[in-house]
Amino acid sequence: MSNEPLIRTRNLSKIYQADGVSTPALNGVDLELHESEFTAVAGPSGSGKSTLLHLLGGLDRPTGGEIYVEGQAMSALSKDQLAKLRLSQIGFVFQAYNLIPVLTVLENTAFVLELQGIVRSQRIERARKILSELGIAEYADQFPNRISGGQQQRVAVARAVVAEPSIVLADEPTANLDTATSLELIDLMRRLNAEKGATFFFATHDNRLLDRVNRLVTLVDGCIADDEVRNAA
Amino acid sequence: MKAAVRHLLRNRRRSLLTLIAVIVPVFILVLMYGMVAGEMRGFFDGVVKLQTGHFQIRATTDRPAGGALPLIDDPDPLVALVETEPDIERLTVRLDVPALASSGDHSQGIVVQGIAAPQSGKRSPLADLVTDGHYLQGDGHSAVIGEDLARLLDLKVGDPLVLLGAHPDAGLGVAKPTIVGIFDAPDETLSRSVVEVDSAVAEQLVRQPGAATAIVAYVRGIGGPWDAEKIDRVVESLRSELPDGYEILDWRELSPDIGMYMRLARPIMTLFCGIFFVLGGLVVLNTLYLSVLERTRELGIIIALGASRRRVMRMIQIEAGLVAVAGGTIGALGGAALVWIVEAIGGLRLPGAYTGFLEAFGMRPVLHLRVTIPEIALSAAAMVVVALLAAWYPAFRASRLEPMEAMRYVE
Repeated sequence: MSNEPLIRTRNLSKIYQADGVSTPALNGVDLELHESEFTAVAGPSGSGKSTLLHLLGGLDRPTGGEIYVEGQAMSALSKDQLAKLRLSQIGFVFQAYNLIPVLTVLENTAFVLELQGIVRSQRIERARKILSELGIAEYADQFPNRISGGQQQRVAVARAVVAEPSIVLADEPTANLDTATSLELIDLMRRLNAEKGATFFFATHDNRLLDRVNRLVTLVDGCIADDEVRNAA
Repeated sequence: MKAAVRHLLRNRRRSLLTLIAVIVPVFILVLMYGMVAGEMRGFFDGVVKLQTGHFQIRATTDRPAGGALPLIDDPDPLVALVETEPDIERLTVRLDVPALASSGDHSQGIVVQGIAAPQSGKRSPLADLVTDGHYLQGDGHSAVIGEDLARLLDLKVGDPLVLLGAHPDAGLGVAKPTIVGIFDAPDETLSRSVVEVDSAVAEQLVRQPGAATAIVAYVRGIGGPWDAEKIDRVVESLRSELPDGYEILDWRELSPDIGMYMRLARPIMTLFCGIFFVLGGLVVLNTLYLSVLERTRELGIIIALGASRRRVMRMIQIEAGLVAVAGGTIGALGGAALVWIVEAIGGLRLPGAYTGFLEAFGMRPVLHLRVTIPEIALSAAAMVVVALLAAWYPAFRASRLEPMEAMRYVE
């Protein structure tokens, strides 16, 4: 593990404004994520977990503070540069799977590679490989609405890791899954973390998953209440 | 591309509506091209072929327009000049004389057209319109008249026709040819007020053998006004060699009304079709905008995954392009097919008021449609451009979505 953080935040804050009402979601978060870490961020609802993930992924802009990705300040990036950063370095897994309904499982998985401009034969080969590694190759030609929630979330993980990003951000990836499927998914992510060396940072409020992480960040009211290194099971 | 097709198939009713909005303007434009070309050909056949010729050589005059044409004492050098042009299909030496036609108690002001036997090539197109008797055969004492004049003066084939000529350059003259044929002209004026006679008869009216008022010429290979450039080339070539005291007038100058119609018809048609295109474009814009709204969440995901703004715009524009190409092709081929079918069944007979309009211009009340491949392609291409322009705003909006806001969007 390198000492240089992959992502570093400095005094990160986010305040949502709606109808003249300010709602603070993050308040002065300082966090460092290193290469190959498998980190969960936990905390009660409204503690700022999702907001933190969205800010780290460049999906939203902070109200204050700064995020550095491999030393590059995110605030200095234009929209298109942010999009490029997301495409090349960040993989996302969303709570609601967020697969593209008109694309098959294989096409959804290969979509990021298509955005990267990789030729069709290569992206199909890589997508099939990752689907096979995740045990869902048999659904390659199915559309998302024809497979279960657990299978859809596996496809979302496949899509997040197929381009081999530096970091995979997952926002409550198991929230819609039953316990067995949730544990399977986390084990799968853990395996990808070990085999591919990808950094995983995911939000959860499911305590059953926490013994599988090697670092747990706890957020309370938008602040880091605890940052604990653990021995994963 | 595959995703764009699936998006279009996902909401079939809306895609069908968009497709129809694209098809209709293109279909109408192709049909309009066919009809305008048909009208132009009708005018050309009715007026240029039957009356004015492709061009005429006349003596220059200061007389007001519509007055009698000045006499040309010796047309032979002019005939020889025209015949040097290899593209001349046919020429006729004509002697037009204002006259009074009489029979019994009736009389009618007319123009006598003395026709010399064709110098070269085919006979007069009027010969094809003779429905009773036959056309002039160059015997020196015959006349053919229109059905309307025959009715007005109660004349039939074989009857004598008394003509009193009054040409300003020659004074009064009298002739009494025999009617050998009656023609059915689409133009009422032609049918009632023009009498074609052997040149010898007209020469009697001006009392000047060998005189003429115009050399009327036809250029080879002219199917309609779209071939006008060939006529222009011959006219330009002859104009430079014409002796002083003569002028050469092309068909547009000889029939200014027709010339003006032909200049204005296409721009006016394009303007009307432009309105259809704008309406079609607005439907495309509306349906694509609805589609973008409906897919806000999905577009948010695509942007979140790292799609550039240009990429998102292109996705929407590909969908618009697909609809436009499909609709444009269907509309253009549909319009062309209808034009072809109409021609295959003998042309388009139009309802009453329009028939009157056509007859006023000397046309038969049947339109023969004509559309060219470039016109078909242009119609479809214009719609593709309109649809892509209409798609720009929805595509722009889609590309400007904020990923988190878009993913939170609930329909």
